[in-house]
Amino acid sequence: MHLKYESTLREPLVDGVKDYHQVTEDIIAPIEAKPGKLWYVGFAISIVLLLFGVFSVTWEVYYGTGVWNLNKTIGWGWDITNFVWWVGIGHAGTLISAILMLFRQGWRTGVNRAAEAMTIFAVMCAGQFPIFHMGRVWMAFFVLPYPNTRGPLWVNFNSPLLWDVFAISTYFTVSLLFWYSGLIPDFATVRDRAKTKLRKLLYGVASFGWTGSTKHWQRHEALSLVLAGLSTPLVLSVHTIVSFDFATSVIPGWHTTIFPPYFVAGAIFSGFAMVQTLLIICRKIMGLEDYITMGHIEAMNKVIVLTGSIVGVAYLTELFMAWYGGNPYEFDTFYKFRAAGPLGWSYWIMMSCNVISPQVFWFRKMRRNIAVTFVMSIIVNIGMWFERFVIICTSLYRDYLPSSWSYYRPSWPELGFYIGTFGLFFTCFFLFSKYFPVIAVAEIKSILKVSGESYKNKMVALEESSIEKFEHDAHHH
Amino acid sequence: MEQKKYWKGLEELHNTASHQEAVANEFRDELPFEESESLLNATTPRRDFLKYLGFTTAAATIAASCEIPVKKAIPYVNKPEDITPGVPNLYASTYVQDGEFVPVVVKTREGRPIKIEGNDLSTVTGGSTTARVQGSVLGLYDVARLRFPAINSKPGNKDGLQEQGFAEIDKAILAALAGKTAVLLTSTITSPSTKKVIGEFLAKYPGSRHVTYDTVSYAGMILANEASYGKRALPSYHFENAKVVVNFGADFLGTWLNPAEFTKQFGETRKINQAKPEMSKHFAFESTMSLTGANADERYTHRPSELGAVVLNLYAALGGAVSAPAISDARLKEGIAKAAKAIKENQGKTLVVAGSNDVNIQIIVNAINNLAGANGTTIDWNTTANYRQGIDSDMVKLVEDMNAGTVGALLVYGANPVYDYFDAAKFKAGLAKVATTISFNDRYDETTELVKYIVPAHHYLESWGDVEAKSGYYSFIQPTIAPLFKTRAFEQSLLTWTSNPTVWEDYLKSAWIAKLGSQEAWDKALQDGVIEPATAPALGGATFSGNVADAAAKIPTKKGGELELVLYEKVAIGNGKEANNPWLQEMPDPITRSTWDNYALISNTLAKKLNSRVLGDDYEIHAEKKVLKIKANGKEVELPLLILPGIHKEVIAIAVGYGRGKKENIGKAAGEVGQNAYPFVSFNGTTFDYFSTSATAEDAGKMYPIGLTQTHNSYEGRPIVKETTLEEFIKNPKEVNADREALEHYGKDFRRDATLYRDQHTNLGIKWGMSIDLNTCFGCGACTIACQAENNVSVVGKEQVVLAHEMHWLRIDRYFSGDENNPEVVFQPMLCQHCDNAPCENVCPVAATNHSSEGINQMAYNRCIGTRYCANNCPYKVRRFNWRDWNGADSFEGNLHDTGDMNDDLTRMVLNPDVVVRARGTMEKCSFCVQRLQDAKLAAKKAGHPMKDGAAKTACQQACSADAIVFGNVNDKDSAIYKLRNELQTDRLYYVLEETHVLPSINYLAKIRNKDAAPKAEAHGHGAEAHKEAAHH
Repeated sequence: MHLKYESTLREPLVDGVKDYHQVTEDIIAPIEAKPGKLWYVGFAISIVLLLFGVFSVTWEVYYGTGVWNLNKTIGWGWDITNFVWWVGIGHAGTLISAILMLFRQGWRTGVNRAAEAMTIFAVMCAGQFPIFHMGRVWMAFFVLPYPNTRGPLWVNFNSPLLWDVFAISTYFTVSLLFWYSGLIPDFATVRDRAKTKLRKLLYGVASFGWTGSTKHWQRHEALSLVLAGLSTPLVLSVHTIVSFDFATSVIPGWHTTIFPPYFVAGAIFSGFAMVQTLLIICRKIMGLEDYITMGHIEAMNKVIVLTGSIVGVAYLTELFMAWYGGNPYEFDTFYKFRAAGPLGWSYWIMMSCNVISPQVFWFRKMRRNIAVTFVMSIIVNIGMWFERFVIICTSLYRDYLPSSWSYYRPSWPELGFYIGTFGLFFTCFFLFSKYFPVIAVAEIKSILKVSGESYKNKMVALEESSIEKFEHDAHHH
Repeated sequence: MEQKKYWKGLEELHNTASHQEAVANEFRDELPFEESESLLNATTPRRDFLKYLGFTTAAATIAASCEIPVKKAIPYVNKPEDITPGVPNLYASTYVQDGEFVPVVVKTREGRPIKIEGNDLSTVTGGSTTARVQGSVLGLYDVARLRFPAINSKPGNKDGLQEQGFAEIDKAILAALAGKTAVLLTSTITSPSTKKVIGEFLAKYPGSRHVTYDTVSYAGMILANEASYGKRALPSYHFENAKVVVNFGADFLGTWLNPAEFTKQFGETRKINQAKPEMSKHFAFESTMSLTGANADERYTHRPSELGAVVLNLYAALGGAVSAPAISDARLKEGIAKAAKAIKENQGKTLVVAGSNDVNIQIIVNAINNLAGANGTTIDWNTTANYRQGIDSDMVKLVEDMNAGTVGALLVYGANPVYDYFDAAKFKAGLAKVATTISFNDRYDETTELVKYIVPAHHYLESWGDVEAKSGYYSFIQPTIAPLFKTRAFEQSLLTWTSNPTVWEDYLKSAWIAKLGSQEAWDKALQDGVIEPATAPALGGATFSGNVADAAAKIPTKKGGELELVLYEKVAIGNGKEANNPWLQEMPDPITRSTWDNYALISNTLAKKLNSRVLGDDYEIHAEKKVLKIKANGKEVELPLLILPGIHKEVIAIAVGYGRGKKENIGKAAGEVGQNAYPFVSFNGTTFDYFSTSATAEDAGKMYPIGLTQTHNSYEGRPIVKETTLEEFIKNPKEVNADREALEHYGKDFRRDATLYRDQHTNLGIKWGMSIDLNTCFGCGACTIACQAENNVSVVGKEQVVLAHEMHWLRIDRYFSGDENNPEVVFQPMLCQHCDNAPCENVCPVAATNHSSEGINQMAYNRCIGTRYCANNCPYKVRRFNWRDWNGADSFEGNLHDTGDMNDDLTRMVLNPDVVVRARGTMEKCSFCVQRLQDAKLAAKKAGHPMKDGAAKTACQQACSADAIVFGNVNDKDSAIYKLRNELQTDRLYYVLEETHVLPSINYLAKIRNKDAAPKAEAHGHGAEAHKEAAHH
């Protein structure tokens, strides 16, 4: 038993006896080898889905938004549901990279690269929806406050949709920079190992002439810290602003002050679930069990149960306020048309997926069970999709004037658009897993100094020395 | 000759050195775009290269990508005297259709009629219109109209028409008519001059006769009047004089005789004077729910077979000496007693009308009116009405004669018996035996398909004519456009075939000049559109001499079968002659809110029996309804069911006017839409019956979608609709708005104070506002169509209505409340409320919707990118999105979504040039007819005085027969809207969803029902409560 340098409570962040070279080998080698059969199959499927999405969107742009089943009462349906869902998924990446970095959470290093990539791709997918839900998408540039020749014609700064434009684009830019700056040392590693000219050239360009000098590292660290500082408020702001789309409106079920924290918690919830889904597959296929350990999975499951419960409290608070607030329209929306009514089923799917089922993670055994975690991650994402559907559609379909009440089912181009964004996401993710180091090599190496078997091995001598000597050494160093 | 020197400036005169230099180097700077040594050797050719590259790329892109179709607009070489581009010309004319008549003013722009308004100078209709009148302008541009006289070589196939010149066809027809006895078959003709022409024509062909055939017949009334008063005519009705109206299935606000006139009259009696509240009381007894029944204070249902008993019971209750059959339904019995009591108390202030076409029932109704003292007070026999003249037995006899081969020639004008005669097969067989058949109809309709010669007549907007709809009351028809096609006035054809060389226009004119005395008088008459007695003649009664006992004995007492069937006319489609009108097809039916179809209306109870989905969420969210096979009178049709609260439990109701022929013949809008219900009509020996006492309905095992624009029927007790009874309103006028009083708790100025942006919208000059009186809105839909015509609102077609993509800027919400079998109905016109704190405005990312300084919430269509956020955030859901390319206003090829030929070059002539058509992907909504407001302001500015109240009218306001809509400048203390809001109607005034603090510019006036308080108390009982719950869905 090693008591001085190994905590019984904290498990190692990297399993197995790894030295720096081994780490590089483990993570960079897949980039240099030909991908496996599964990769090709998966990539082909993704491309097909993407193309179907492109077809569906083209159809919609050509024939008009009317090919979707939205109507005079329900102006937003799957489009904005999917938008909020993807944006929410995009939250975990930045949370892991920025906030956990500021809090010096060492465990993040195993998952941050993939999580950040996921963020970037998810935000890319999310962005498609507000663009293509526009009736005249070719006029989309009107939302940008650019100097124009139309007289003093400016965008409407009162509109939450405009805030969205800024929030999402800022978030995307900062996330991309953060991700890319982390990639630079790793690209340099690939470049240095490269055996083909082309690879050397491309990774050489991508690594921006990184030499690994102390000055480079110092600047790299500084930049990471600055970007982390910038991203941290963004984690909170993006979904807060997305929630403003609803919270600032007058529609019962939307007009709620609880939305900002509720949306942020929900976003982290779904983001972590998506990270789980992807990493459980990745670590299995790419053999990265040593780097993405059970400890990681458990840590993320803890976040899931926490945020899931926050979301649950939010749901109950909404119900309470609908009753306590004394607004008959809001009462009806929640109790008659959400919890019951023709779309009531979606509310109960949301409740059971988001609030009830994550409670299994109160048990350590469940948190550390790969199969349970994987299934739960899918359930949570289904639940969070329904949360957005419930918020958007069950508020709109029966609002103030009963004469306009309506119903909504998606049409094939709406389904196609959603499927297409899966295609986009996985196409990007497959390319990422093939050409990019899926784990931050440099950052993993940094924790090898303080965690893992090889670190422990170095400590054997110290452990075996007497306590007096240890104390003496410790005081005189 | 001395050379004169002209100079442009002093420097030229003095020829200064600098001037000489300037002249020498007129084009001083060499343009660098020349291939020269200097260019090639220039030190900076890169810049020029980039210029070239940039220019050519841009030019090529523009040339390649922006292919703009060339549309030729040819300006006038010489401006016509009376046409100023941009300035409308107005012409008085008269809408006439099957005897229904409405004097109108036609607005033309650059020679095209684009809008119809009522003619205020008529004392009969007083400027009112109906949806069909409003829609008739579109009928002018109907692409399915026949375009030339022709010989019909392949019956039923429009391609077989052989175009003829008028001279040729006249020659052929004259030859074919020679020596034959002709029958002229028309719908009711109200024109004295046309009748004279007909008389001359008939005289030319001895033995000939004129048969008047009304698709929906009123012969029962005409014959009953003959039997009762010795007058084969219809009287003038005066609903405005009636304190009590008892109505037996006469849809006088929707389809009965002349609804525009009656709506105006009845509306007068429903206006509430707050200082002294009183209104008429309206009892309705009917089998299905008509628009009129929906507006009744007390409404009772009965089977069609029970009508005789109901009428007799009322007669007996009034003291008539007749033994009336017992009535088992307690509610109905009570209703009769109540009606009798009301009539007795209002002797001489009562009007009883019945929609029945049964002579004997109408005789009893006459007897009731006689007892009630209606003759001479609410029924005027001094001025009779010519609205309908058809006698059913004449038509039956004609068909028999045709089959017997005794008719030599048949000339059909405005009648379409192959479609709407009850025994169409027999008519067809007879038609085949007639040697010479001629049709004047406007399209290749079911009858015209089978005739030999086709000489299409003009549309009324292209015609000359006169109308004597009531004796002594004349109105005129004058052309508002040159005939679009090679058509000819019906009268002109007759004149030609009578060998009278007179031109119809001159014939008409000379007759009138002779009558009026001078050309000036004729011009004045045309300008005014009407000639009426200088002082309205006194109302006159008539002595009732009908044989009540005989009539009572003849009323069939046969008990009906398990189910009974009634046929009715829809407000928008009527008898089906004007059915090929996409506006009217898409107009939501006032009662069912359905479009584009007919269906079998049944009660919820019957739906349950037939294992259909019943009223509730499931029924609401599925547009597909069960198809029923309905059999009656040996005929059967398959129609989808539609549940109608308020229809009698054992009655099926089907609208006529649907199931027209092939699309290519009738037109894309009406052709092959719905099923023809006319075969269910039967002939009882004297008149046609529009019901069947024995019908069956069974499941046809199919589903069929119906395009409903409103699926939920209840207003869920929400304070969006406010109503009370007259009695309670008199007792406590403030009660109806008690919840508004509670708002005062937030301070006197809560409307202004409850916002962060207090002075955001203070309107110093004009502030537009509208008031809608729920008490005088009968839900007829004239405003909806007026709005559609005025604002170029697109038609979307049935499939898109099913998807709830319809575009109407103004809709009329219809809510039921109370018991599912005897519901109360309320109509609420809903349009953009022009909120001063508009939730749509602040959410638009590009500021495409914003507030005008006059309080209008306005749309900049060009700026709209179509996020639909504004529509989501509109609490009234009045914003309409262009889901598809309805009108070819986007630049994608082949994505036009057109139903009903709305985008034909011809049809597009109806578009109002003052209003832009909206591109696909943009949002639109009511603009308060901003183009009219601008016009009125400019007119006032040019005239140099402040705009007068009433100078600016919205289209809906102008179309409303009952003046339910008041509009104006609320900052003008003399305006009607200001007075209404601040003095006249303070008690009933409320704003819909006022509590959301959107500050709407439209107020509503609470509805008042003149019903007994007693049933209301009952409604609080347990049983009624349960019914209420059921009817909520």
